[in-house]
Amino acid sequence: MSVNLNYNEAELMAVLMSREVRDGEVSACGALSQLPATGLLLAKELQAPNAELIILNTVFRPFHTSRQFHFLAQRGELGLFFASGVQVDRHGNYNLHQLGTDPERPEVRFPGGYGGGMIYYCARRTVVFRTEHTRRSLVERVDFISATGSSPANVLRLGNPSKLITPKASFRFDKDAACLRLDSIHPSYTLDEIRENTGFDPGVTGPVATTLAPTTEELRVLRSVVRPKMIETGTYAAWAERALGLRV
Amino acid sequence: MGVPYIPVVGLVGTDLLARRDDMVLAPDPFDGKTISVVARAMRPDVAVFHVDKADRHGNVSCGYPAEAVILAEASQHVIVTAEEIVDRLEEKHAIGTFVPSILVDSVVHAPFGSHPAGMTGRYGPDKVHMQQYVAASRDDAAFGEYLRTYVFDVESHADYVERFVPRELQRPTRVA
Repeated sequence: MSVNLNYNEAELMAVLMSREVRDGEVSACGALSQLPATGLLLAKELQAPNAELIILNTVFRPFHTSRQFHFLAQRGELGLFFASGVQVDRHGNYNLHQLGTDPERPEVRFPGGYGGGMIYYCARRTVVFRTEHTRRSLVERVDFISATGSSPANVLRLGNPSKLITPKASFRFDKDAACLRLDSIHPSYTLDEIRENTGFDPGVTGPVATTLAPTTEELRVLRSVVRPKMIETGTYAAWAERALGLRV
Repeated sequence: MGVPYIPVVGLVGTDLLARRDDMVLAPDPFDGKTISVVARAMRPDVAVFHVDKADRHGNVSCGYPAEAVILAEASQHVIVTAEEIVDRLEEKHAIGTFVPSILVDSVVHAPFGSHPAGMTGRYGPDKVHMQQYVAASRDDAAFGEYLRTYVFDVESHADYVERFVPRELQRPTRVA
């Protein structure tokens, strides 16, 4: 299937993330988070001029120590957090620690630590993103649970997973069923392609909407305001220069 | 903080929690029902951290924002290694985090003490050495060899700097 799209994959994901940001809330992302950083800055130019942004390890952060960030999260002051993992499963668990069936002898190790598993409980909404939509990244059950999608009712929890965003589709977290359900399919993809590339049942019960493609206005602001801002402020500057803006 | 343990919102159900014996689940002592993680306080016997400047009394200017105060408070004995020892360091002249001398037991002059990592404002990381370290960490034999070369067979810190810190890192390139 060949469709001419006027945006690239990074732009699509950044725009979809920006739509999750609400005005007046504190929204944050961690280190090595180019796409959420772009989405946060875009939202600030569009629907959320009064959003407080925390983009760790950049100029867009209100404080310098992890202790301050930890207790901000513990107090329940985070409205939205963006997280990613090497694997995400049907129950909204994600894995940022290690791959392999024997936990004592992992095949590969990743930088996962403590933060993600803490913030998943604290931010009112967490949007999980994964830049690879395949059966090895979206799995029935993660090899290692770094952050837990759902928890028993008697466990203290301030917030929940909200969505999973990939280059092909968006999933919504169904809190009652404690699972992810396909929410919308991005332009140019089909439900068959999503099923083929997803390692768990996408939980489809009726027709699935097509994701609203990035609008002309979203792409204009992304390319002419956010991209230069990222380059000027050293916010993933080299990446922004390379990845944002469609080469024709 | 001085508290014996602290509740933490989060982590319940993770494999991380399953593999730690210093974090357990416990009910809220006030309502007797709501479950959360309780983490035991860490009280290290010794903390060692590297900073930009220290004076002979143990006042410390880290040179960058760091969690050094909480680390020093938690630890029984605190050793600071510093790029530079100065006569007298006051909080208002500190760069980044300031640690008052009351929390510090020993100060050691150790220029290039961050090597092979970098030191904010002084020198960058030694990328070639870092790659060697990563390669050596793949198995026990290679790592044993690494330790022999860079730790056990080194006579002194000055000997380490002389032999292993590349000359280009040693150029005085103080940047703001």
